[in-house]
Amino acid sequence: MTICRQPMNKYFVQLVALFISIQSFSQSGTLKGKVESQQGNEKLSGAFVSCKDSHGKLFEAITEDDGEFKLKNISPGPYQLHVEYVGYDAYNTTITVVENKTTECKIILVQSRKSLAGVQVFASLSQEDDAGARAKEQRSTTLVNVISAKAMERSPDINAANVLQRMSGLSIQRNGGGDEAYAVIRGLDPRYSNTLINGIKIASPDEKSRFVPLSIVPSDILGSIEVHKTLTPDMEGDAIGGTVNMVMKNAPQKAIFKVSGSIGYNAIFFNRKYEKFSRSDIQQKSVIERKGADYVAQPDDFSRSNLDFKPVMPMPSSTFSLAAGKRFMHDKLGVMISESFQNQYYGSNSTFNQATINTHTTEPTYSDYAVRQFSTQQLNNGTVLHLDYEFNSKNKITFTDVLLYSFLAQSRTIVDTSIIGGNGGRTVPGTGPVSTDYLSVTSKQLIQNAKLEGKHILSKHFLFEWTGVFSYAKKRSPDFADIAVNKKIDTVHTDNDIHGPYTFVTTPDYFDAIDRLWQHNEDKDIDGLANISYKTKINENVLIDIKAGGLYRHKTRYNIQDEYQLKPTTSSSGIKQIYTNIYEAQWTVYNSHGTYDYDKNNYKLFEDVTAGYLQFKLTSHIFEVVAGAREEYTSQGYTMNTFHPAQINSLTKNYTDLLPSAMIKYKITARSNLRAAYFKSIARPNYYDLVPATIQSVSNATASTGNPQLKHSVADNFDLRYEFFPREEEQLFAGVFYKKVADPIESAYVNGTTYQPQNFGTAKVYGLELQFTKWLGYFGLTGNYTYLHSTIYSTKSYIDLAQNIAKDSMQKRSLQGQTGNTLNLSFLYKNDKQKIFVQVAYQYIGKTLTLVYPLFGYDYYQKPLSLLSLSAEKQLNGQHLSIFAKVNNILNSHQVEEINNLMMVNEMTNVGFNVGVRLNY
Amino acid sequence: MNTKQNFLVLGAAAALLAVSCSKSDSTTTNTQPIPVSNPITPGNISGYVKGTFTTGNTYTITGDITIKKGDTLASQEGVTIIVKNDAQIFVQGVLNIVGTQDKPVSFNSDNNKPGSWGGIQCDTMVSSVTIKWANIQNTGGPDPAGDARKSVFVNSVVPCNVDIEDCWFTNGQDDLIRIQNGAHVTILRNTITCSGSTDGEAINLKSGITGDVAYNVIYSQAGTGVKLETNALKPIPQTNINVYNNTLVSNGWRRGQAEPGRGVSVGVYATAKIYNNIFVNNYQGLEIFTDADTSASTKYGNNLFYATQNTYQDTTQGGNLAISIKAGFYPSDGVGKPQSSDLISTGVGNQDPMFVSYDGKVATPNGATTSNDYHLKTGSPAIGKGNATYNNDIGAYTSDGKGNKH
Repeated sequence: MTICRQPMNKYFVQLVALFISIQSFSQSGTLKGKVESQQGNEKLSGAFVSCKDSHGKLFEAITEDDGEFKLKNISPGPYQLHVEYVGYDAYNTTITVVENKTTECKIILVQSRKSLAGVQVFASLSQEDDAGARAKEQRSTTLVNVISAKAMERSPDINAANVLQRMSGLSIQRNGGGDEAYAVIRGLDPRYSNTLINGIKIASPDEKSRFVPLSIVPSDILGSIEVHKTLTPDMEGDAIGGTVNMVMKNAPQKAIFKVSGSIGYNAIFFNRKYEKFSRSDIQQKSVIERKGADYVAQPDDFSRSNLDFKPVMPMPSSTFSLAAGKRFMHDKLGVMISESFQNQYYGSNSTFNQATINTHTTEPTYSDYAVRQFSTQQLNNGTVLHLDYEFNSKNKITFTDVLLYSFLAQSRTIVDTSIIGGNGGRTVPGTGPVSTDYLSVTSKQLIQNAKLEGKHILSKHFLFEWTGVFSYAKKRSPDFADIAVNKKIDTVHTDNDIHGPYTFVTTPDYFDAIDRLWQHNEDKDIDGLANISYKTKINENVLIDIKAGGLYRHKTRYNIQDEYQLKPTTSSSGIKQIYTNIYEAQWTVYNSHGTYDYDKNNYKLFEDVTAGYLQFKLTSHIFEVVAGAREEYTSQGYTMNTFHPAQINSLTKNYTDLLPSAMIKYKITARSNLRAAYFKSIARPNYYDLVPATIQSVSNATASTGNPQLKHSVADNFDLRYEFFPREEEQLFAGVFYKKVADPIESAYVNGTTYQPQNFGTAKVYGLELQFTKWLGYFGLTGNYTYLHSTIYSTKSYIDLAQNIAKDSMQKRSLQGQTGNTLNLSFLYKNDKQKIFVQVAYQYIGKTLTLVYPLFGYDYYQKPLSLLSLSAEKQLNGQHLSIFAKVNNILNSHQVEEINNLMMVNEMTNVGFNVGVRLNY
Repeated sequence: MNTKQNFLVLGAAAALLAVSCSKSDSTTTNTQPIPVSNPITPGNISGYVKGTFTTGNTYTITGDITIKKGDTLASQEGVTIIVKNDAQIFVQGVLNIVGTQDKPVSFNSDNNKPGSWGGIQCDTMVSSVTIKWANIQNTGGPDPAGDARKSVFVNSVVPCNVDIEDCWFTNGQDDLIRIQNGAHVTILRNTITCSGSTDGEAINLKSGITGDVAYNVIYSQAGTGVKLETNALKPIPQTNINVYNNTLVSNGWRRGQAEPGRGVSVGVYATAKIYNNIFVNNYQGLEIFTDADTSASTKYGNNLFYATQNTYQDTTQGGNLAISIKAGFYPSDGVGKPQSSDLISTGVGNQDPMFVSYDGKVATPNGATTSNDYHLKTGSPAIGKGNATYNNDIGAYTSDGKGNKH
């Protein structure tokens, strides 16, 4: 197999052999080396190293993530050393191993345009430094964007959600409270993308969707984040927008120890207090879960202190993280532990108005003005344990366990004034019926993901890989408590003239109702994956890699909720009581057996996915072609816990998709690629999308109900991208894409305030992406821009009362959640002498369709949004200690939604500050 | 008298006799009991049910019953239905409950407490609902989501006739009769008493309902007596109802001052003709909201407004809140205006409709008992002052006998 070629003069080759005395017990020596690229001293992992002694005996090794390799217990003497790596010239030299000593060498490879080297490349490249990330982007088969741990560390971001929104073609969708965040890739709704940890799907703690809230993933535990925008057959096929892969930190070759901590504050609490409630009396289980189905709930079974809100100054937010890694047992065992803890206090002040149709002008008008104030404490903990054991240079097993825990405590005050409506509305400004809700919410989310994988080089040409995963997620929201209080403000004329002066008169607060909801859900996945690769050379210039594999995943999931309505006790004349405070309020339990036994939200779900694929990859020094197909068989469904007449109580959906994929990468030069790709992919309905139960939205006055008739979406995707890598940490990407999505799933208005997921014909999506990074001395500029255009037709109400017409009409619009223009621009300053790094990040999110309004010609759009943030880092005390500061949302940008010019939402979250210290060993 | 004359007389007499004979001839159809289709065996029932409850029998509904699309549940007169376990009657097909004045059909829960069973819930697929001479009590138990159920809820998507006549409804918890999505209604001569715990309207008609609401007595409803709306998103067809000759007493108090109830309200592009109704001691009387169809199609008049006291002193919570009933006859936040044909009381004793018996209570609790009799005494100002298109008299009890038969 050896390609014996002497290094050519025009390529620079360097060998540094260092001789270090290390005592050894046997009559043998050790050869240890490090392989790097000439450009940027990039550590090359997965390079193939072979060593032949004078008798022709062969020793082989593959370099690790940090580019190192080690051959132990080899007899002393001269060796012919040969190193190969794809895209680099092969390297040959002679080295002498000394008895009882470790001989070290450093090998620097040069990128090649002419030779195709490397026959066995099985491991992945370290992506934990920036140059590595760029190299991954350049070398990857798919169209990928990678953000490294270093870039995350230096960015203003503390969780995966914040990091992702700075990546090309990505933005983040948040709910009203700002506590849940999902990736919008290329302007497409989160349902069109999937989220992986270390390349594997994970169970979701969300009660409705299959998403993982990215805001609960601390960025400190991440090695890198990859966003794949095209799919090869060996990747899971349910990504139309793309795949987010969060790669956890890996065991290093060299021991590392990193610790960092920070404290911060949110400026919203400079102007108002944090509304705190006691958590001590919250019952973790509902009445029926505690006392059994026959128990009749009594008023005292419901705690009061969690509806007693006290304004306080919040504690500062704090973060702490630790990462330690080392190799043991003669480097056979690698251990990496990362731990990150975040305790944040944040809030929002917002306006959330509601619209109805003015029955005289048939235009949307306000039905309610509502203001909201949220106070949130979020505690995130992420722990990653990575263990790997190398039996020998050809066999390795890795165990990774990711544990994410998130706790949220949120108080909400919502004051809603009816402008028009069934109980009368406003007569003059300042009047109207006013309903106030005080809510307290706590929830705990847990994700546990254990993965065991093995890599076995069976022979020179065969690699076998297998993976087993157990993934578990749960969410428990005990006692979601909501008390509603109402009053009415009227005018009273101070004289008899009805047009004359008046004063306001306010009725007392009446205790309207209390709602208590206990909810929990659980999601379990068992995955098995295996694949075998065969690589060989067709001729001196072309390498073929054939890969075949499969996946089986069995998912089970349940959702339980139990809800109680408490009604105010009434006076002897039957009138509601006046509300003074929660401790004085008297109530009766209206549904004293809860809803546990017959709630439509109590159901079980399953999803089984069986997939198989075959792919071919041809690599030459000028092109790379990947083609193949994947077949995915899905069986998904639900069963309600109780029989409901007139409902589809149980459902199974089976579908098979054949997903061909073909992509070509043309290496124009060593530093530039041109890629073209076609792939077919799907988006499965979210679990809850199918279940015909109604869930009230927590962020607006809408409800959603499932649709058992829903079909999965299937898309044809076309991509073209030009990539240029001028230097280390520099890049320029320009790409266009087109997607044709059959049966896109959109939230459609059904009636009242209820929305339901439905299929809408075929959507056409096209877009443009640009991305660049440029350094000029100490200064760098990095940015990306995405343009997206999509079209879809949906039914709307068309009303013309003058003509006495009210009919359904088709309206052309973009897909929900689509953002037309997204721009990220970061100004960087990096001074390696002063050890200073500064980043000013600007983000522009263009007009976004957030919600479809049922009236023809009107929809909810988020106004263009500009965000500015700053981060800075300075190393002190040699190399080990650094201080950093992060400031988010400097401009205090408000998120504003409108229906035409009717302002519906105006949300203010204010500026967040963070300062901290980092220690690196 | 000559013979010629005699013959004439005889002939005339014979002719007269013949005429009178033919006039006294009569053919009457004897009321034969209609053969019962699928009689249902008395006793416990639950699950899918179709057929007929037969006269004189008692049926116990132990769990939700469902009348499937295409199926009919009928009831003969004099049937007693007892409902246990907060069960409901769920209708996707046809419901045909026909009692008689002498032998009404009775629906109640086993424990006889307000809000203790689920009522009659008609799904989007329902094709026809007829309920005559039935006494329906204590509906409005919590639904699976824990919310109060309407007592009779019709949510048809296809045009459907809803006929509710001569029934008694007492102690519901939320809306008593709620009909939406384009049904044609005939709601006549019913008596709805003390319903809605702290919310709910007595007759709540939404989105494209047409028909008549007449001769009903609505007493002490938590919210509004008759509420009419259209769906703003589907304003055509409009909700268009004739609301006439109803007697609306002491409604709209239990929600408190923050959400006063009305005798009759029209909103959200609904239109109506509202005549000959008596409004007594309602929190607010007749309200035409600003978002109603305020064009010429909405008409009202010949309504009588009265209060047995000028203000209601709400002292129940230790406060001392005076509410002027009179000021709310036509509430100030609406666009409805007194009509010249209206009989509007200017003070206690003026335009008193003179009910046979009325305790004058303003706010009373859900589930209260009452023995008021809203027939009019001789000399009532309501007599003979009606809009003749509907009735010469005002109120649910009219001298022509067309009114409420309770």
